[in-house]
Amino acid sequence: MINIFRIVYILMPLTVVLAFQWAPGAEILGDTSRIIYFHVPAAWASVLSFLVAGTASIGYLFDDKKKRARLADVSHNSCIIGMVLIVLTTVTGSIWAKMSWGSFWNWDPRETSIVFLLLVYSAYFSLRSALGRKERGSRISSAYLVLAMFTVPFFVFMVPRIYPSLHPAPLINPEKKLFLDDKMRITLAFSLVSFTLLYFYILSLMNRISAIEARMVINRNEK
Amino acid sequence: MAGEIFRNLLKDFRVELRSRFAVNLSISFAGTMTVSIGIVTSGVPLSPQIISLLLWMIFFFSAMNGLSHIFVREVDQGTFMFMNNKIGTDAVYLSKLIYNAVFFAVIQVFITPVFIFFLQVEVKCAAVFIATVFSGGLAISATSTFLAAMVSRAGGRGSLFTIMSFPILIPVLWAAINGTIRSLENRAACGLGNPFFLLAFSGMIAALSFLLFRHVWIEE
Repeated sequence: MINIFRIVYILMPLTVVLAFQWAPGAEILGDTSRIIYFHVPAAWASVLSFLVAGTASIGYLFDDKKKRARLADVSHNSCIIGMVLIVLTTVTGSIWAKMSWGSFWNWDPRETSIVFLLLVYSAYFSLRSALGRKERGSRISSAYLVLAMFTVPFFVFMVPRIYPSLHPAPLINPEKKLFLDDKMRITLAFSLVSFTLLYFYILSLMNRISAIEARMVINRNEK
Repeated sequence: MAGEIFRNLLKDFRVELRSRFAVNLSISFAGTMTVSIGIVTSGVPLSPQIISLLLWMIFFFSAMNGLSHIFVREVDQGTFMFMNNKIGTDAVYLSKLIYNAVFFAVIQVFITPVFIFFLQVEVKCAAVFIATVFSGGLAISATSTFLAAMVSRAGGRGSLFTIMSFPILIPVLWAAINGTIRSLENRAACGLGNPFFLLAFSGMIAALSFLLFRHVWIEE
């Protein structure tokens, strides 16, 4: 499984080349628009990671035979990656905002909703550290992740569409069109695939580390 | 199950009426906040946006003071094990949810007129204002009840409850503040969209919490 995701070693450098060398700059924004190839995929991958965390939590909680204990680790690891990606999204978004609107932070609905997501998931880490890593802690924090997953669509899809925003038209807009040149569109699609695979690759690595740690604990207890 | 819910509700109300700790704390906090804001503004008229924001901040922090109490008390006093033996998990959740909803509605009934009086608020659309206040209160209670159960299992840390509740309650606060602004601003723009959203959100959270509650509450 992990070997398939190793393709990111080729895809990520290619994404960088396509973003900086092949794709043209946007008409008004110029070269600053190239940040879209990192900002949008990071945002997408962060939402994906939170959805995976929520789904894995459901699987863990409703597994009455307790055969899928590792799903708790999967959801926790996915959350960690999601947090890193959402911080990256915020940072790249801020840089883009400074270049386009003249200020790093504008309380735009999209900026604000991403910060709220950061708060939702940083609360998860507070809860997890308060509960500890025992079985009870995993159960309660998984229940929180399920609840948190249901707030994600509100922040990501509803708020930015209700309030007037300075943010460029999102990929899913009322006209259902992608306002990008063909080369830009291909580069963005390529980058989305690369970031998705990168997320799954890092997740699989972290899951392996968690499995090794769990095995070490069992071995230590057996001695 | 109805009998179990009723018995547990009765017990919770009796315990609360005996000590009146949570209700006194929430009402005192809200009263202090309202009077402090009134003193600071000294009769200066505030915009509907500021008024709505202040009203819901007072509601939010009153909820943070009072709503976790129902579960934290059971864990602190060690009564939760007896309760789990006597009453089914679903009945525990539903009785606590009803208790918190009634408790918070009572708090709102006390706070709202005091707030309107001291800040000289002119409500243009009373029906929508009342609907927004109570549907928002229900949404806060529904969300806080489940989170309170989690926090009580984490040692009942007060600040943790606020840290966890605030981001999850943002959609509620957003709709409630919007609905309140509309009811204060303009009779023509009054609509029941925000109260309906709040009721739908309460229903969604209550249903989710009902499904997840046994994983949080039962000790395995």
